[in-house]
Amino acid sequence: MSSLSVPAFIRGIRKHGLAYLFIAVPVLAAIIFLLIPMVTSFWWSFNEYNGIQPPRFVGLDNYVKLITGDKIFRHALKNTTFFVFFGMLIGPTLGLLTALLLNQKVRFQALFRTAYFLPVMTSLVVVATIWRMLYNRNGLLNIGLAALGLKPIGWLSDPQWAMMSIVIASVWQGFGFEMVIFLAALQNIPKELYDAAAIDGADGRRKFWYITLPALRPVLFFVYVIGIIESYQVFDQVFVMTSGGPVYSTTTLVYYLYSRFIDLRLGYASAIAYVLFIILIIFSLIQWRFFMEKD
Amino acid sequence: MAAHRKSLKHVTGRGLVYAVLIVSALLMALPFYWMVSSALKMEPFIFASPPQWLPDPLIWDNFIAVFTRIPFPRYLLNSVLVAVIVTVSHVFFDTLAGYAFAKFRFPGRDTIFFLLLLGLMVPFQVNLIPIYKIMSSLGWVDSYMGLIAPQLTSVFGIFLMRQFMRSIPDELLDAARIDGCNELGVFFRVVAPLALPGIATLIIFTFMGVWNDFLWPRLILSSNELYTLPLGLAQMQMRNTSNWGEVMAGTTVTALPMVIVFLLMQRQFISGMTEGAVKA
Repeated sequence: MSSLSVPAFIRGIRKHGLAYLFIAVPVLAAIIFLLIPMVTSFWWSFNEYNGIQPPRFVGLDNYVKLITGDKIFRHALKNTTFFVFFGMLIGPTLGLLTALLLNQKVRFQALFRTAYFLPVMTSLVVVATIWRMLYNRNGLLNIGLAALGLKPIGWLSDPQWAMMSIVIASVWQGFGFEMVIFLAALQNIPKELYDAAAIDGADGRRKFWYITLPALRPVLFFVYVIGIIESYQVFDQVFVMTSGGPVYSTTTLVYYLYSRFIDLRLGYASAIAYVLFIILIIFSLIQWRFFMEKD
Repeated sequence: MAAHRKSLKHVTGRGLVYAVLIVSALLMALPFYWMVSSALKMEPFIFASPPQWLPDPLIWDNFIAVFTRIPFPRYLLNSVLVAVIVTVSHVFFDTLAGYAFAKFRFPGRDTIFFLLLLGLMVPFQVNLIPIYKIMSSLGWVDSYMGLIAPQLTSVFGIFLMRQFMRSIPDELLDAARIDGCNELGVFFRVVAPLALPGIATLIIFTFMGVWNDFLWPRLILSSNELYTLPLGLAQMQMRNTSNWGEVMAGTTVTALPMVIVFLLMQRQFISGMTEGAVKA
């Protein structure tokens, strides 16, 4: 736009008035709520700022403190990575397995699909609340363990278990989404490919490795990109189930950002937000390369 | 003989598939069942061992409490209000903007679109604190305006609509123009009807996102009477963890509207969700 002269720009507005009218409100909203905040919080991440006094520039101090001297941040990074790793290991696998089962022309397919998909429709706060009850010391899960002759587990009170418990509840909530996407993709694979492979004498396993999996690659890409980005932002479950405890064993990056925000350490919180952003960019780039190379 | 063995293997294989499907479907449903049945139980029986599978006695007190002593009707009203306003606004603004980006040529189009996409990459948490400051300088903290204003349009929605509109052939629009349609007529009579599946997807994603949203409402709202359902439910647990029956009644009330909407419009939901992923 900068290459345009002012009169040409005014003529342009007149000629293209309708187009500018159509995009005016969303573009204005994006400037106010996306672009300005993005730059502002980047600036704040180099400042000490409590929201009341003006920001005081401290250079890289916030980042240095985060990376070298902040034990809670290190917990948060570790816990979030744990959540992403196990969530992404179990969730899409479970989603793919159920999709493969449902794709075998089973009866009542719609009914099964509904059963697996329903938790996706419920908010994470609801899911976290239900599972908090199931995870109770005297809850259904421990009753089940006792019935099997096993010792009860401190699902949310034992630092060794708490993060895994949050992973389990989250996978229960989310894998139906992945299943539905895999199922749609499976049904899009032309049947002729399988027929041709059968003529060539391929067994089920070969068909899976040489036809199904390659056909699913774009969808796998989508599921992992969306999944990893979303998982890194885990917050609601932690807020409801554990408040980050016990002893920071479930404090995640966004939960930590939130608590620093509440403490009015806005510069520091902004630095945490930017670390999160950088992690997400790195993952997006890796995934991009990994999946594009093979095409 | 060989054929016989094969069919036997086939039958047991099918049986196994069904067994796995049924058991896992029951496991998936169990937490929901436990939620509802606990809400209908008397407090001492909720954590009874062995577990009480059917509430005995079956009581409605917890639901009555949730509707009278705890302002769940108000939470429900707030949730509906916010979700409807935001969704209508998205459909209006995102669709028009998506149309402009897809079908109009105007100076700066690609630059502006690129800047918007740049904004899309940034996670919400990065923008959270500055947005909060903007809301606070407008005096909108703890108000509907503060809750709604930052989410009235979305770049994701514009992007989605642009993708849908691009597949509509230009010839169709030109034909309508030659037939004497003005630009608004072209949009409402030709473009909007053809983009309906896309609009349905937009509605579903927006409504669900707003309905289930937690972090932003949690930050911007502090008055109980402005709370949406997830907020009210979280608040309730912080106040009384001892009364699980009431908490589960609140959970049921929070979950139910979305479950009902989903069961009624299941096909649209699932095709709407998969559309983007499979096509892209």
